[in-house]
Amino acid sequence: MKKAVCIKNLSFRYQDMTLALEDVSLDVFEGESVVLLGPNGAGKSTLLLHLNGILRSEKGSIEIFEEGMDDGDIRSIRKKVGIVFQDPDDQMFMPTVFDDVAFGPINLGLSEEDVGKRVASALSMVGLTGYGNKCPHNLSFGEKKRVALATILSMEPEILVFDEPTSNMDPKSRTELIRTIKELNSEGKTIITATHDVNAVPEIAKRAYVLNKTILAYGTVKEIFENADLLREVNLEVPEVVKLFEILRCFGYNCEELPLSVEESIEHLTRTIEGKDGHVHLHIHEHTHEQLNSVIDRHFHPHKHHNFDKI
Amino acid sequence: MIQYPEIDRYSALSSPIHDWDPRVKLVSILILIFSIVLLYDLKLAFIGLIVAVIMLFISKIPLRFVGVYLKWVSFFILPFFLIMPFTVQGTELYRFHVLSVTYEGVTYALLICVRAFSAALLIFPMIGTMKFGTTIKALESLKVPNKLVQMVMFTYRYIFVLTSELQSMLRSMNSRGFAMRLSMQTPRTLGKAIGMLFVRSYERSERVYNAMVSRGYVGNIRTSHPFKLRDKDWLKAFPVIGIAIGLHCFAGIV
Ligand SMILES: Nc1ncnc2c1ncn2[C@@H]1O[C@H](COP(=O)(O)OP(=O)(O)OP(=O)(O)O)[C@@H](O)[C@H]1O
Ligand SMILES: [Mg+2]
Repeated sequence: MKKAVCIKNLSFRYQDMTLALEDVSLDVFEGESVVLLGPNGAGKSTLLLHLNGILRSEKGSIEIFEEGMDDGDIRSIRKKVGIVFQDPDDQMFMPTVFDDVAFGPINLGLSEEDVGKRVASALSMVGLTGYGNKCPHNLSFGEKKRVALATILSMEPEILVFDEPTSNMDPKSRTELIRTIKELNSEGKTIITATHDVNAVPEIAKRAYVLNKTILAYGTVKEIFENADLLREVNLEVPEVVKLFEILRCFGYNCEELPLSVEESIEHLTRTIEGKDGHVHLHIHEHTHEQLNSVIDRHFHPHKHHNFDKI
Repeated sequence: MIQYPEIDRYSALSSPIHDWDPRVKLVSILILIFSIVLLYDLKLAFIGLIVAVIMLFISKIPLRFVGVYLKWVSFFILPFFLIMPFTVQGTELYRFHVLSVTYEGVTYALLICVRAFSAALLIFPMIGTMKFGTTIKALESLKVPNKLVQMVMFTYRYIFVLTSELQSMLRSMNSRGFAMRLSMQTPRTLGKAIGMLFVRSYERSERVYNAMVSRGYVGNIRTSHPFKLRDKDWLKAFPVIGIAIGLHCFAGIV
């Protein structure tokens, strides 16, 4: 499969000598959706800014669709990689929403008619049709985040990069945003998302990289969430659904493999119930309390965890 | 609550001036403003003021809203009024001890005052009757230098971001026990806060620039503007520019 992004041994130091990235290597394949997990200050935003050449580093190499940053035309790379930044106020600088969403397409040299079409379709994708004449400063934060996404969608990049897309959004907007990301991926866009929102991770991606200055681990989302030590090291936890199923397991629910998302849990329950003549059997057995305590300590009092390792 | 400088708050009303083509409106009213500001005859300046008031009424922008801004204008004008009558040489009107009020002084002060208020009033029909974004587009399509248009645009856009940043900073200072007092501590803290605001705006400007570059910015900003000139736009320009020129023709006669 073709590599959309290929980073090799990238290191980066800010001017004040903060070493933000060290020997980072990462591959993202065309049409794939990958998340970048890591604690605050891990260098996620820094890494993302390298993807369209805003930050450059001497150490290491970056290729976008097999085109290097140095030998390629930077403008053609920026056409392919669209970054949705963390703070939407940084992304919206034009007087109206329409102008902001049109900014990219106009710079691409499209005709006025095509610009109009692109703006309309980008705004409808984020559910803001009819917001064209609004001023950015009159929008709510969630709306601003969605406009910020539209400003990138209108450029129709092949690779979409999101920095904390779900932070500060109300549950409904968050769900809609996750749906939009999934849709974009199913349309064939390559997607890279930096996030702390572990509940969203299984929804939007199959594969994950764990970053803390350097790449600590990578693999399927499932593999990453099974690695409890790693998660603890980078201040992350498993999705709520996983916790619930671990609790169900204490009550005798039989599951080897824990579902990660709501969808997976529906599948899992259906499979279990169909295999077990039409119902699931939960009960309190002799180890229930012991196991529950262990689960609760592991997930809800993480600082006490080590005492319970043996269970 | 800090007041946002929302000059375009009443841009959604409907009036003949709201309905006027933004470019013709900008140019026509600007000509009128210059014409009034360059008048040297008090009577003609008064006529200009009346015209300004009439235009304001036609635009339907509430006087209360205008009043807020006029307060600031009068604040700057007041010193002239206090000083000029006493300092300009000429025919004496009154005399308090060493100070004498002259006829010429009073006339000059009034002239400056009338011209300034007329200009200030005309700003509202000129840019208060359309979205600020439209004003920017009009400037752009009038071939105002792009760097200038960008400066106006960014200033306007980020005034709001900066005010809300300042506001949240003040709020967090207050909620941690900061209060304006007559002590050395107050200016020191405020100084640091304002310094931080500069640092923050600098950092923001870098991030904004990154976002712009990401979307293909290479130095010029173009917007799309679907302006269309109709006959009635010219028809409205006629009386306004006519008055502007007329005032000066009269000035020649008077
Ligand atoms: N402009 C800068 N100058 C100096 N150091 C910086 C700059 N920007 C970030 N850093 C530092 O680089 C490191 C990585 O920052 P980065 O913003 O990439 O982290 P992040 O993973 O995005 O964190 P978060 O989850 O909080 O957004 C941090 O230690 C940060 O303090
Ligand atoms: Mg970040």
